[in-house]
Amino acid sequence: MFLYKNIFKKILSFISYKEKKDNSFYIPDASEFKKGDQQKNDKGKAIFHRKTKREIKRPIPIDQLDKCETDTLILASEENISNDIELNIQYVEKCFNYPQNSDIIIRRLRVAGKYKAFIFYVDGMVDRFTINNSIVKPLMDSGKFTDAIFEELTDYIIESVIETNQIKKVMTQAAAIKDILSGNTGVYIQGYRYYIICETKGYEKRSVEKPQVEGVVKGAQEAFNENLRTNITLLRRILKNKNLTTEFIDVGKRNNGKCAVVYLDGLINPAIVNEVKRRITGISTDFIIGDGILEQFIEDNPWSIIPSILSTERPDRTASHIIEGKVAILAEGTPFSLIAPVTIVDLLHTPEDSTLRWQYGTLLRLIRFFAVFIATLLPGLYVALTTFHREMIPTDLLIAIAKARENVPFPTIVEVLLMELSFELIREAGIRIPGIIGNTIGIIGALILGQAAVQANLVSPVLIIVIAFTGLGNFAIPDFSLAFGARIMRVFYIFLGSMLGFYGISLGILISLTILVSMKSFGVPMVSTIAPKTGGSKDFVLRWPLWMQEKRPDYLNALDTRRQPKISRLWTKEKAAYNKKKSEKGGGDHE
Amino acid sequence: MNSEGKIGVFEAVCLTTLIMTNKVFFTSIAFIVQMTGTSAWYTTLVSCAASLIFFYFLYLLLKRFPGKDIPQIYEAVLGKVAGKFLVFLFCVFAVYYSGSTLREFVEMIKVYNLPQTPTSIIMISFLLVAVIVSYFGFECMARVCAICFIPTVAGLLLILLLASPSYSSNLLKPFGGYGIDVTLMSGFLRSSAYMEFTILTIVTGAIGGYGNFKKIGVISILLTGVIFSTSIFCYLLAFGYSSGSENISGIFELSRSIYFNRFFQRVESIFLFIWVISSVITTTVTFYISILIYCKIFKIKNHRPLILPFAVLVFIAAILPRSMQEITQVNVVFLRQYSMFVAYIPSIIVLIIAWIFKKRGQKAGA
Repeated sequence: MFLYKNIFKKILSFISYKEKKDNSFYIPDASEFKKGDQQKNDKGKAIFHRKTKREIKRPIPIDQLDKCETDTLILASEENISNDIELNIQYVEKCFNYPQNSDIIIRRLRVAGKYKAFIFYVDGMVDRFTINNSIVKPLMDSGKFTDAIFEELTDYIIESVIETNQIKKVMTQAAAIKDILSGNTGVYIQGYRYYIICETKGYEKRSVEKPQVEGVVKGAQEAFNENLRTNITLLRRILKNKNLTTEFIDVGKRNNGKCAVVYLDGLINPAIVNEVKRRITGISTDFIIGDGILEQFIEDNPWSIIPSILSTERPDRTASHIIEGKVAILAEGTPFSLIAPVTIVDLLHTPEDSTLRWQYGTLLRLIRFFAVFIATLLPGLYVALTTFHREMIPTDLLIAIAKARENVPFPTIVEVLLMELSFELIREAGIRIPGIIGNTIGIIGALILGQAAVQANLVSPVLIIVIAFTGLGNFAIPDFSLAFGARIMRVFYIFLGSMLGFYGISLGILISLTILVSMKSFGVPMVSTIAPKTGGSKDFVLRWPLWMQEKRPDYLNALDTRRQPKISRLWTKEKAAYNKKKSEKGGGDHE
Repeated sequence: MNSEGKIGVFEAVCLTTLIMTNKVFFTSIAFIVQMTGTSAWYTTLVSCAASLIFFYFLYLLLKRFPGKDIPQIYEAVLGKVAGKFLVFLFCVFAVYYSGSTLREFVEMIKVYNLPQTPTSIIMISFLLVAVIVSYFGFECMARVCAICFIPTVAGLLLILLLASPSYSSNLLKPFGGYGIDVTLMSGFLRSSAYMEFTILTIVTGAIGGYGNFKKIGVISILLTGVIFSTSIFCYLLAFGYSSGSENISGIFELSRSIYFNRFFQRVESIFLFIWVISSVITTTVTFYISILIYCKIFKIKNHRPLILPFAVLVFIAAILPRSMQEITQVNVVFLRQYSMFVAYIPSIIVLIIAWIFKKRGQKAGA
């Protein structure tokens, strides 16, 4: 009975309506933040005036340091660092599954030949040279500790002994272990309840190379690599701005990954940053590596085939988006950055649009929009045309098509699907195939599928042209995810075209438009600037000259909406140093 | 209450103009030519002027009750029962309008493009899209209209331009048509053809109140008048009043007449896209409005659960007419000539009652 009840409930849940929780996000107007900042500043002032009691610490001579150690023993746990060296070593060994796991190195030593201590790190993640010369040697050198007077031994060690460039105190075992896993080295000294974490990262990484996916003829030739720090440095090298802010957030419960949220403070609408951080911190999963996985966890429309976050491997493109008032998310282990929020048109832009003169940039953009049209609709239109609207085809062409199809035994839809499938197989195999036998793909694709299929009367030659043209259109789409979306939509349009002709395709266009219009990317409608109509940026479908692009996109509600003054080329209003009229006049005077 | 979202003036103008001008793709042009002869192109301007007058009354009504939409105003003036009943009639009319437009479109497309496709398939696919679009709500609908408006109008103008080789100014004679009385009378009655702007009175919250209503209404009525008049003018230039009154779809016939050379002829299928998209949008908006009115009457918060039941109602309304003849002679005549008695007249009566009994809404901030 209970089972039946459950089945009934399940069936009912399929047909009954469930109200969705409204967790939509919108970007508030910049003016709201200006008010908020004022209030925050006032609060800050109030806190500043509050008096706090400070304890005065008296310096302890070095010979009395032994007496500072506490007698009560504290056990080591995830949150607590014990004041006993053996307990901490045991805890670390247990954590890293030592001795089965031989990656963890624990080195006991005596600081200044006197105080018990140990250092620990993950082998292979660290730079041994730094550990030897900047941590172990100075710590064991008792000459560094003679005649010194200090409040605490560890403070003295941090300030005067260890020679690594970055160093910090960590109060919990969990935080220390996270740091160790990132390639840092932990130092513990008997009696204290914290670790000293020294920067010793030294793992192998790929150097900065040329972009693989987003190559350009004119413009920078640098791409991100898998190292997060390198990627941020690449951005900092382009945006030399003190307000460029990087916030690190841990993602992935088991792989302990890290991602960086990069933005320009004081320019970006703070709500966007908060929303991005809220979404990233709200992820609860075991494994996140790279931006591809992260994207799927934070995007607004996980069911949509059109991406709502831009992924780019280019630091210059990322920087240009940051300066527009967007957020870049860089994840560890991937040579891509995520940009949010974006519109559909952003996905069709390339860095070359800006580096080229505006006329060429505009032309390239129009070609790309045409490419999207071709990639999504052309096979569908061909099927519809040859099945339902033959009257549109001029007689000569119609005869040519009919002749070519005369011996083909399949209906057009089968022919198209066959070729589409072959094309997709070639593409997929082309990516997977080892480079050394790469030429085989060309032979299979061009000779067997192209020529032999036509000769065997499996497909008509016209169709080969249509599919090849569609393929070219698809390759011209700059965003990889969007190109994938176009491929899926193409199949959808082929079916619509074969069933209902142009009528079906029109219905499909309307559905696609509706879904696109309803999509949002971090509170920004994907078709912003057209619907809803917003002003501002002159860098949308057509690319206006750079000196005319005075404002940032309106839909971002940036704190500073203006990119440049109305007259950015001030020199056009000034007289040239070697002005002809001036020189003529001057010449006359001279005479 | 229902959240229709928020739309801008541009989006609202696109929405109303697109819905109003959609008729040019159907029997409307041939019908007006049949009624008024060669004066058809300016008869529609008389209709435009008459609609502006009706529009002004509706504006006065909304202005009298700021911040309220028509269902709320009817209730405030006529009381709950009578007010709700009158609004309910409007809801029924919206379902009927939606069904009739769907059927008219289906009959047209069967004649011109899909003669062998079963009517039910065309209807169901059409309604399916209407259901999907309605699911996303009014804001989304308006945005789709904003995107489709310019291509639709550009496509229409392109047809008119490309058909120009077949124009002859002699076909406009006699300029007076069937006489001034027929022109004025038909013009006045045909003002119902502009009644779609009344949907704005249901979504006043979404368009930003009566101030924007005035702006949007005037712009869209004038724009529609110009588009109608130009289309009929070009149609008359190409076919004249005698053969022009026989065509089923005026603009589609005009697009068929385009001929430049053997590689540029029979291009009407290209224009099928604008025809289909504008028709689907028209049906969808009226379909959605019918649901919205129902929700407002019975204070239902979300329109989505009602989409499927209303889709069935629209389907029934669409299959009620027995033939193409019945659609053109009964439905179209009623919709284009007498719908003013549903769309304008009740509102004017309510306005008069509000005047007599000195009923008015509270001003914003009062």
